[in-house]
Amino acid sequence: MRLIGLVVLLLGQSVWSLHESEVGIVDWHKKLVGVPLTASPATAPVFHRVGTDTTRSIVLTATSSNVLAGLNPANGSVAWRYIYDSKDVITTFHAYQNIVASLSGPGGATLRVFDALDGHLLVEKRLHDPSFGQLTEPNHIGTNIAFLKHAAREPSEVFALTNGNTIQSVSGLTGEPKWTWTSPDHVSVSIFTKIAVTPTTLYAIGLSKTFADYKLHVTALDTSTGDQLASETIPSSLTDFRQLTVVRFAKDSDAVAVAWIDGGSLKSILLDPKLKAKAVTVKGTAFESIVDLALGEHGRFLAVKEDGAARLVKLDVAGGGLKSVHEFSSVDASAGAPVYSGGLDKDGNVYVSRIRWSSTLRQAVVDLYSGHLAQGLSTSFTFPFDTLKHGVFSHATLDCAQPSDLRPLTRIALTTSTGAVQLWQHDQVQWTREEALASVSGAAFVELPEQAQDSAHSVDGEEGFLQRVLRQAHDARGFPGYAMRFGKRFVTGSYDGSGDALSTLPPPSLSQHDLPLARDAFGFRQILVLATPYGIVYGVDTRTGEIVWSRLMGLGWAHETGGSVMPVRVYVVKAVGDAGPEESGKAKGPEVIVVAQRRSENTLIDTVVYHIDATTGKNVGPSAAAEDADDGFLAGTDVIPGPLVESFVLPGEVKAAVLIDQYLQVYIYPDTPETQKAFRQLAPSLNFPLRSRQQGSFRIIGHRMQISVPPSARASGSDSESSPNPESGPRAVAHPTWKLALLPGETLLSIQSASRGTGNIASVGKVLGNRTTLYKYLNPRVFVVLSQVQASAGDGGAETSTSNAKTEAMCAVRLVDAAKGAVLYSVLLPSFGGVCDVHVSLTENWLVYHYFDGTDGGEGTTKGWKMVTVELYEGKGVDDKTKSSEISAFSEEIMDLTALEQAYVFPHGITAMATTSTKFGISSKDIIVATKNHKIQSIPRRMLNPRRPNRKPTAEEQEEMLFPYDPLVPDDARRTLSHNYEVANIEHIITAPALLESTSLVFAYGLDLFLTRVAPSNTFDVLSENFNKVQLVLTVAGLAAAIVVTRPMVRRKRLRERWYQ
Amino acid sequence: MASSKTLEYMSLETSSKWKHLPSPPGFTKSFAHKPIAKSSSSGSVSDSYNKLKEKRAWELATAPAKSLPMQAFMLYMSGGGVQIFSMGIVFMLLLTPFKNFAGMNDAFAPFAPSAVPSKAKSWTTLPAQKLAYIFCNALTLAVGLWKCRSMGLLPTGTGDWLAFETRNMSPDVSLF
Repeated sequence: MRLIGLVVLLLGQSVWSLHESEVGIVDWHKKLVGVPLTASPATAPVFHRVGTDTTRSIVLTATSSNVLAGLNPANGSVAWRYIYDSKDVITTFHAYQNIVASLSGPGGATLRVFDALDGHLLVEKRLHDPSFGQLTEPNHIGTNIAFLKHAAREPSEVFALTNGNTIQSVSGLTGEPKWTWTSPDHVSVSIFTKIAVTPTTLYAIGLSKTFADYKLHVTALDTSTGDQLASETIPSSLTDFRQLTVVRFAKDSDAVAVAWIDGGSLKSILLDPKLKAKAVTVKGTAFESIVDLALGEHGRFLAVKEDGAARLVKLDVAGGGLKSVHEFSSVDASAGAPVYSGGLDKDGNVYVSRIRWSSTLRQAVVDLYSGHLAQGLSTSFTFPFDTLKHGVFSHATLDCAQPSDLRPLTRIALTTSTGAVQLWQHDQVQWTREEALASVSGAAFVELPEQAQDSAHSVDGEEGFLQRVLRQAHDARGFPGYAMRFGKRFVTGSYDGSGDALSTLPPPSLSQHDLPLARDAFGFRQILVLATPYGIVYGVDTRTGEIVWSRLMGLGWAHETGGSVMPVRVYVVKAVGDAGPEESGKAKGPEVIVVAQRRSENTLIDTVVYHIDATTGKNVGPSAAAEDADDGFLAGTDVIPGPLVESFVLPGEVKAAVLIDQYLQVYIYPDTPETQKAFRQLAPSLNFPLRSRQQGSFRIIGHRMQISVPPSARASGSDSESSPNPESGPRAVAHPTWKLALLPGETLLSIQSASRGTGNIASVGKVLGNRTTLYKYLNPRVFVVLSQVQASAGDGGAETSTSNAKTEAMCAVRLVDAAKGAVLYSVLLPSFGGVCDVHVSLTENWLVYHYFDGTDGGEGTTKGWKMVTVELYEGKGVDDKTKSSEISAFSEEIMDLTALEQAYVFPHGITAMATTSTKFGISSKDIIVATKNHKIQSIPRRMLNPRRPNRKPTAEEQEEMLFPYDPLVPDDARRTLSHNYEVANIEHIITAPALLESTSLVFAYGLDLFLTRVAPSNTFDVLSENFNKVQLVLTVAGLAAAIVVTRPMVRRKRLRERWYQ
Repeated sequence: MASSKTLEYMSLETSSKWKHLPSPPGFTKSFAHKPIAKSSSSGSVSDSYNKLKEKRAWELATAPAKSLPMQAFMLYMSGGGVQIFSMGIVFMLLLTPFKNFAGMNDAFAPFAPSAVPSKAKSWTTLPAQKLAYIFCNALTLAVGLWKCRSMGLLPTGTGDWLAFETRNMSPDVSLF
């Protein structure tokens, strides 16, 4: 024991840190922005052009991850992004010349102005208190931004409409307010939705609610002072705020017109400061809706007729109304609704396009209208959009150039239903960003199989002598190369850069993907299966971060009605070692299942399982045969005709998922006799907790499996065991066994299982310096319950720890046994501002939790982030052994445990926490945290040892490598795994073992994706990089040569000695 | 009298294997061996020889104990670390008792009473001295073990046996 300790001590002395040369080789980082919000033009992607002579364009978008981002259209990289706080939701953004302004928060509480090209924050100004914000649905209603520039050198003036009734004018450079105007009307009666600014007058256009419909309401304000000039309600009848648009020619006219659909006809009114004009009706057929092309400043919008034809309408100032200039003819809408978009070229000419999917051509068709060319040039082309990979397009934005006459060149930034953003230059795709990866809802590491050796040896049956000689001669061709590689590897110790932990060779290039995926020497290359709520599953190579395959999850029968697939969990059901011999004909790869809930448009929820080969993305489930019929989408298997309550993975050798429906019936997937048998064997001992809520009080209810034996089998006697027939037998049903009721007023936040990693526990105890043992409390059923105790009810229990527990809400962390609901450990933590931001990690007997302590405990205490480490040990002290991991939950000794704990001040808030996991669990487990300053940090196990003494350690404590307690966990930059990447908004961290015991793969996901590998106890199983293998080989070779030379000499000398002695 | 005091070592060597060798040429045993008072002193001479042998046997039996202080000093000087020097001494301390025990009968055979030469190598010869010898060797062994313990090489704590402990599956399993 001591020898091992000594070795570890020697290894531990060299400080581990990430070397700069390893960045990009051991890790990768994907900077994402999130899926663009395409539902409303206020947040949808838009091409924006900056500059007058030499222009640069940028694709601006707000995303579902609450990010405002600028994408570089040339290469698809993120030019800039600004990540908003989760409570500060972006409601609208507008770009004007070289600035972008956004409103965020309830009712548009905060105005931010950015530089459009590099994203520098120029102005950040709170327009009203967020708690006074009007919450509207959708949230961009009642917020709008307009710009005005008086002279070339002056900064733009920004006008912001917030809360639907307040208009403020601020400087676009300093944020200095000029004036504020608030509507006298109450918001519930009248709400402004849009503003339009001319140098003299600002028009606020809104809707007044009447008994049956909405009436158009316009107020004119003085631009420079904010005084109200006029306010009129225009006789009109609207049913929806979307049937309204404001058009004008910002460049050369002060005219502003409002257009709306009133009972099927298109009406418009020209606004003037006195608001005296009358509404005009555009002649023609019945219109159904108005499409905002983001060309309002250029006097154009689109009105869609009932038959699907769309008419491009232009503001006609001279005519006093609107004029239709072009009509996109009606098309078959069965292949999805067409997407309209407007764009400009460098000179400000207007282009309008319609993009639709043609099911006959299996391509996307673009109809482009260029109004300034040849009295309205209409061109069409197609581009090969891959609908099997990217779903259907949901939004497009257009940018045009005119390299030669009558030949407009388009760039289309397309957003698809799978969250991909693509840029098509004419019919060539320039880049694709898979933004669905910014909202991964389930992830799993899958080990890869070894490289298939017998690729050439596929001859079955008889093989003649000649054939065999020829084949072997053929195989032998590769021998010189192999010998070379072997020699090189032998001498240098480098594994072609594929596996060496410290190799500085770059990762393999794309071309290697023609080969089947195979693991590398040390198992660093695995497949990450990522399921996203956009109905797409990705397979990502952990070495490079490239997407190896992606599959769209099919809707099955809900294809007709439409719907969405929400993945819940990803499980590995067949690992590399599990491939049975009987499946030699089938794919041998590891398999994963994605458990998903499918919500169809008719509100039916089903639980569907998608069964995928992790190396290729092919369907390997029972529905594989039906796949061709389903347009190539990944076909799922409907397992539960109803929602899923919880899903688990079956412990033991046989890998299967256990799904529980709302009637507590148990479904096994894959449903084979083998898995059924394994389940039936295990079932009597299986327990699981479920959350429940009854009459406002939360509780956790423990369940146990029950397999009712069918009556016939019971009558016939004991032979029911020998013929398990899952089809005829009744389903196993879970029944409640225990209940843990929370305190009145206590809210259950989450329950969290222990991270078991590979399930290998290297040691059942911890040996102290005097060679006594603290036996770890390894109850395998422990799970974590996080709850929030309300302020009023905090004094109910005996657990009040601080004096102000009655005034502030508290957060409770409990450890509960899943078989009987006993609370093994509990602690009450202060909340911060009534919010519990507690992160917990539980592995083996080690619990770590992190929270914000805002209580002022007087002198000697500190406010700040705290990290507490708790270790649970059996019995009362050293050498007290209860064998907690093997005794029953109902044994008396299971409650006999001791908790050792120590608290530390942690320098950062965190968003996710996990422990590393290695193959055999021998390497120490580090804590990996994602901090709020967008870094991934590892904290050594040694640092968080609760037995760190409060004084100089004694010799025995030094043998345990304990060092004195220090309240602060140092912010050690060498422990930052993420180098200088900004790894933002990480929500989960998962870890997986590599083949090397020393190394663990760490994958963090949330907004960004980040993968690295860590060696918590250093790479003790790999030779270090500075080990001079060449010297060793040369020395050995030299010695061998010396022996060869001296051996005959020695022999001759001996012979002579015998003669002349 | 002088001749009677002549020490004839050969007579001590009752068990010597050269006893039956013929004398060298020209050597007459009777000339060299002139007993003066045969009858009276032969018994007392062998008696005193036996006493002398017994004394020597005691000396041999207590020899390991006599070297203990020196060994303890060496142990003290070799320090508590696990190094080649201290390990060598410890191995010596641990091995010599067993070696001595194995060769005990041979070591005591020269001091066996001459009365029964055939029983010279028997366990029952010189029992007290042999017991003392075993005890002294045990002392040496104890010192060696004490050194091992102080260096932490003795598996006395539960921690030393932890690696052999195994745990079975619990009868209650949590799916969560």
